[in-house]
Amino acid sequence: MSTAAIDRSAAPARTRRAADVWLWIVLPTTAVFCLIFATPILDLTALSFHAMTGPAQVGDAFTLANYRAFVTDPFYLQILLRTCWLGALVTLGCLVIGYPVAYYLARTSSRWRGMALFLVISPLLVSAIVRNIGWFPLLSESGLVNWALLKLGVIGAPLPLVNNFTGVVIGLVHALLPFMILTLTTVIQRIDADLEEAAANLGAGPLEAFWRVLLPLSLPGVVSGSLLVFTMAISAYTTPAILGGNRVLVMATYIAQQFRTVLNYPAGGTAAALLLVFAALLTLLALQVRTADGESASEGRGA
Amino acid sequence: MIRWFALRATLFLTFAFLLAPVCVVVIASFNGGPVLSFPPRSFTTHWYALIKPEFFAALEVSLIVGAVTALLSVGLGLPAALALSRGRFPGRDGLNAILLSPLIVPALVTGVALYQFSLTFWDLTHVVLGGTLIGLIVGHLTFGIPFSVRAILAGHARFDYALEEAALNLGATPLQTFWRVTVPVLRPSIVAGGIFAFVMSLDDVPIALFIGGGDATTLPVRIFTTVEFDFGGDVMAIAALIVGGSIVLMLALDRLIGLDRLFGARA
Repeated sequence: MSTAAIDRSAAPARTRRAADVWLWIVLPTTAVFCLIFATPILDLTALSFHAMTGPAQVGDAFTLANYRAFVTDPFYLQILLRTCWLGALVTLGCLVIGYPVAYYLARTSSRWRGMALFLVISPLLVSAIVRNIGWFPLLSESGLVNWALLKLGVIGAPLPLVNNFTGVVIGLVHALLPFMILTLTTVIQRIDADLEEAAANLGAGPLEAFWRVLLPLSLPGVVSGSLLVFTMAISAYTTPAILGGNRVLVMATYIAQQFRTVLNYPAGGTAAALLLVFAALLTLLALQVRTADGESASEGRGA
Repeated sequence: MIRWFALRATLFLTFAFLLAPVCVVVIASFNGGPVLSFPPRSFTTHWYALIKPEFFAALEVSLIVGAVTALLSVGLGLPAALALSRGRFPGRDGLNAILLSPLIVPALVTGVALYQFSLTFWDLTHVVLGGTLIGLIVGHLTFGIPFSVRAILAGHARFDYALEEAALNLGATPLQTFWRVTVPVLRPSIVAGGIFAFVMSLDDVPIALFIGGGDATTLPVRIFTTVEFDFGGDVMAIAALIVGGSIVLMLALDRLIGLDRLFGARA
């Protein structure tokens, strides 16, 4: 292995041999990977081009009927729309809640910064399933939030906050907030703090300085953070399944339902293939935005 | 000043929001009344005594699968990462993208794909993958390998080749150089990759739900399927124990390698 390593600086003839060595070294991992990941994904995609012939039975003939159903049947369109609506609400929630925290983390020189950063990251270190369960004593009819609101006289009857769409939105905002905060912090850090001061000196109020200076300059972070959170929100399964109480049908819960209870594998495979393509395209778009932003940032430094 | 106060208040509320569900799990697990009611009416520890043995069996499955996944991820990830960062062969960038691709595929899609694959695989070979520990490990390797490849690639970017040349000049064989220079220099990122694979394996629901089952049920999946039907204090108690375990693990990692370093490897 190491012979090849130093061959980087060796004569071209030996480099050629070294290239072959590295191909051999990468081969086992690639083979394992193709067997355990690429093949199953292709197998699943193939499934979407066949019809269901009975529970857990798949026909042999090639068909596009599954995809046709997905773009014409209002039932599927509703699931697609609900999934996008969920992604949009979660993204908006993360932006509104996350921006002030990101601003603080980017600008403060307080000795609490490290602690604050740790608090932001810490939910990621606790199992997703545990975090989801923790919402029930908070959001259920006799939970903390309803108890507090009833005591304060804000509401007359308990609000349905969990086992529905609301619960899923709350749970996903919580789960994805750290990603939004970390993305925004990186971008805000790169914005010159003097610009805000200049805006203030020129007579802009805090709100105007935010709207006309900080927000436009941090837009690349807002866009890439939003793409990241949106993609993760529409891909998530555990949170919609638990906090939705088996009652919220989005792409992920629909796919799981087809494979676990309805046993219509082709329909589930079609939805899974669509979700896969959708998520992959969004991720590539996010990478594109980040690269473009990185280039403009380095240009900015050079200027 | 008012601005900073408003910001402080917002920060405080956000941190409360971030920590709330985790803290509530611990508090609710000691609730003597109905476990989903808040505030608790009385203090009890009896939920902990009621945790069913199947949860501990599932914990064992989770730990075994996590440990084997971590070891295999690093074992398969290290050669791949070295080849990707040092080799100059055609298709290298493409291979790089392919090996990292599971990280952009929704875990649920990987889960159902593996489920479908286990059916096809049985048809072809009559080897059972679904509901076995091997199946679970295979499933978790789909993200374990990319995580460790990415961590080692990141660590390797700062690699100083002069160290290897010095070892070779001093008479070390290539194999000695590999084990006594290359691996120790890359150790932090190798460890970080392995820990990520382990933690993600312990956390995963969608993949283990579809490839596992029966005796091969991980702890998160056991909790998931229990919660689908009925929600008792024993679930809160086991969840609280997981929180405790996570804190111990976090502190240990912080002492051993530093959490900032671990997260540096993730980015």
